[in-house]
Amino acid sequence: MMADAPLQGEAVSASAGKLNVGGMPGSWIDAAWLKRLASLKLALAVFVLLGFGVITRYSSEDGSEWLLALPLFLGGVNLGASILTNPVFRSQAALLTFHLALLALMLLVAAGRLTYLKGQVELAEGESFTGRLARSDNGPWHRTQLERAQFVNDGYTIRYEKGVRRAETRNSVRWLDDNGAEQRAVIGDNEALVRHGYRFHTSFNKGFAPVFVWYPGDGGTPRRGAVHLPSYPIHEYQQALEWTLPGTQLKIWTMLHFDEVLLDPEHVSQFRLPAQHTLVVRIGESRHELAPGDRLNLRQGVLAYERLSTWMGYTVSHDWTLPWLFVASLLAVASLAWHFWKKCAAQPWDRGA
Amino acid sequence: MTTELQLLWLALMLYTLAGSTAVGAAVLARRPERIILAIIMTGLAVHAVSLGLRWERLGHGPFITLFEILSSNVWSLLAIFALAYWRVPALRSAAVVVMPILFVMMAWLLVTSPAAGHFPPTYRTAWLYVHLLFGKVFLGMVLIAVGVSGLILLRRAGTGAAALARLPDDVRLEDLAFRFIMVGFMFETLMLVAGAIWAQDAWGRYWAWDPLETWAFATWLMLAFFIHLRVTVKLRPCYSAALIMAVFVLAFLTFFGVPFVSTAPHKGAV
Repeated sequence: MMADAPLQGEAVSASAGKLNVGGMPGSWIDAAWLKRLASLKLALAVFVLLGFGVITRYSSEDGSEWLLALPLFLGGVNLGASILTNPVFRSQAALLTFHLALLALMLLVAAGRLTYLKGQVELAEGESFTGRLARSDNGPWHRTQLERAQFVNDGYTIRYEKGVRRAETRNSVRWLDDNGAEQRAVIGDNEALVRHGYRFHTSFNKGFAPVFVWYPGDGGTPRRGAVHLPSYPIHEYQQALEWTLPGTQLKIWTMLHFDEVLLDPEHVSQFRLPAQHTLVVRIGESRHELAPGDRLNLRQGVLAYERLSTWMGYTVSHDWTLPWLFVASLLAVASLAWHFWKKCAAQPWDRGA
Repeated sequence: MTTELQLLWLALMLYTLAGSTAVGAAVLARRPERIILAIIMTGLAVHAVSLGLRWERLGHGPFITLFEILSSNVWSLLAIFALAYWRVPALRSAAVVVMPILFVMMAWLLVTSPAAGHFPPTYRTAWLYVHLLFGKVFLGMVLIAVGVSGLILLRRAGTGAAALARLPDDVRLEDLAFRFIMVGFMFETLMLVAGAIWAQDAWGRYWAWDPLETWAFATWLMLAFFIHLRVTVKLRPCYSAALIMAVFVLAFLTFFGVPFVSTAPHKGAV
């Protein structure tokens, strides 16, 4: 990779010097194959391949991961071999530190890809996160501890600027810490909730949630639940959803109806519940309009509409490498600055002027 | 026309005067360098007031719309060039290359709508300012390197021979350009790191291959390729200069092209 950068433009050959570990001639570090792997020409080829991989990855979404993984692997091998064999690194500590930091960054990114978790979850106001994600994607070596990351969504405020442009999101959350003490925080926008290494970010995905209580006809335990209607205001005119009553095969189509303009394009406004609304419920051929407190007597039990609430969508991520990536990045930049400073300070900038 | 736009026009006229003087002086083999620097500094002061008035009026910095991005970059690029112009006499002749590039940006600025844009909530973070600062220094360094490289290419083309004759030889000019490329590479790295920290805070991921991230990384790769190539083979100054030009074209397209041809430059902006 980047060896000494002489300002005069003189070439440095990877084989310009020999290094004998412990003074032992013929050490494996002198091996010709290792020096070939450490070649600067190979480094140049890696840059070209990686550039090609980056552009291809950009233009096609699927099936091109190997175009990045292959040159990165090759680059890692080249970098490692170069650090071991190139004598330039023995005489220039800053350059060595930069390349070691770069190697560490590559290894950390690879480790992060093997152990990461990304997911999404929706929580109604007052609902507790219990470790179940709506959607998730994780590395093969991720061992989930999500059940330890419990918290409660205590509701949120979102300000909208003129033109219904989303401004600040403030979401109140609470949880019990490891000592059983209740903790509270307000998250949103650039502030995530971090619980046991899992980061919960509020998202633009949020909306209304009618809360129902279902009393089974067989005398079973009543169950309270919220139906998360499509995201608002993106789906302002599609506030309907079909869902299945728990423990039954009964399909219920639910639509929220209100006449007021909640988010006025002409004024600054706030996401809020409508002052008045009706909930249209359709079960088979029958249609009902419910207000909070209304109950529906069905053959399978009683469905009570309790109130209208809200839900918030969260993105969840876990990557233990983040603080180490930060440290390696700082080390890389600091050592690069140190190296360039030494190069540039050796001769005046305006010589020959 | 509002005061901020009147001041912007005045600043652009002063920049044009400075650039025209620099080009005219090169043709006539004169050296009115102090006058050029004074005009640029006056333009920068006027432009700074214009940017400040807009910042005060909108409540956010000039980095949302194309108009704001062009205006703030014309200011920052000229400020960085003026500093280098003052401190490194060897590159003063580079004004004949740098100023016409800035003229193009100024002309683009004049045909761009000055209407306000939406300031996304995820932009309310100190990391945005750190990210932008590093990005502007990076582009400024590459622009100076382009200015010096342009002199090498002009001399090779036989243009302005009399004015270019008193400059250091091509090897020394290339050496000077490479120094700015090295500093630019460092600031581009810092820009990527600061951007990743911001993205992690704002969207829960430090890298997502969005268009700006992809092309900024491609620029970083090209810079790294150039630095390694210069170490690996003995590049002739004119080839080195041509590669620096190519780096600048890629960086320029990343800064001013990608955010406005893509539907999702950075996730928070949509």
